[in-house]
Amino acid sequence: MKLKTLEQIIKNKSSKEEFAIVTNLQNGESHVFEPGKKLTGDFEKFQKEVENFFKSKKNGIIENSDIFVETYIRPIKVIIIGAVHIAQYLVDFAKSLNFEILVIDPRGYFATSQRFPDLKIINRWPDEAFKEIETNENTALIALTHDPKIDDPALQHALNKKFYYIGALGSKKTHQNRCQRLKEAGFTDEQINSIHGPIGIKLGGKSAPEIALSIIAQLVSETYNK
Amino acid sequence: MRNSFDEKILDEALDWIKTNQKVVLATVIQTWGSSPRQVGSRMIVNENGDFSGSVSGGCVETAVVRECIDLIKENKPCKKIEFKVSNESAWEVGLACGGEIAVYLEQVN
Repeated sequence: MKLKTLEQIIKNKSSKEEFAIVTNLQNGESHVFEPGKKLTGDFEKFQKEVENFFKSKKNGIIENSDIFVETYIRPIKVIIIGAVHIAQYLVDFAKSLNFEILVIDPRGYFATSQRFPDLKIINRWPDEAFKEIETNENTALIALTHDPKIDDPALQHALNKKFYYIGALGSKKTHQNRCQRLKEAGFTDEQINSIHGPIGIKLGGKSAPEIALSIIAQLVSETYNK
Repeated sequence: MRNSFDEKILDEALDWIKTNQKVVLATVIQTWGSSPRQVGSRMIVNENGDFSGSVSGGCVETAVVRECIDLIKENKPCKKIEFKVSNESAWEVGLACGGEIAVYLEQVN
């Protein structure tokens, strides 16, 4: 690999622009492919195959060739409602797992950059916050306040936008009440049952980092299932 | 496997180069059976044998480091090496997990 290719890769990585590294294993020549752009030279005839690898978000060797493709795909967006203690640990875990985290909390004392350094904290009500955030079926929601005023509008938004993972913190009873409210708001049983509540896989732990671990484990598992 | 924008191994490679070290990238390009690290996993090695990252669960890293040092000494641009299942002699380099991997070595120049 040429030094200037490596520099280009670092540049794309830091600007979070999706790309693929395409390498000719015969001679070590490599090229940075950006979606929508044309490959040139030796790589030109592999345009379609490279695009396919990109679409399937996979790495590998193009069949019957010596061309290796390594794709860098934008991380999955995970929205956390509630800048609470558990969220601080979630943010730490998420750093090494290719998730992009946004934290929403209308309560000024919680949503401080002192509690969440190097992170985008949105100090607004979920309804307002979601107006500015692009969300879709590849987005995940973790609701942690167990305060209906804050969690419910976010859960409703996530259900309407068909987030692939929706989890809500709270006891079984809290969750039952939550389900009842969503039902009254017109959501179907199928929609309501898609919410992971009480959130997380059963690890047995009760401390903030243990609960964060059980949530992140469930999120990773659901991300591979989707 | 989804490569992470936050994965720092290539940034580290660039840092090493900036401090005048020679760097070989070692990347898993193919796997068969149960292998510990997926395609796209990477480690970097310098001319002294210092390394960072991984291509297996510690099974073949020593051999990869040796191959990378040779690549620098012989000043070759690239090389592909394959590791297969190790037999019972514990000191042989191989994958105890029963998988096979192909690792691509390339110098950054």
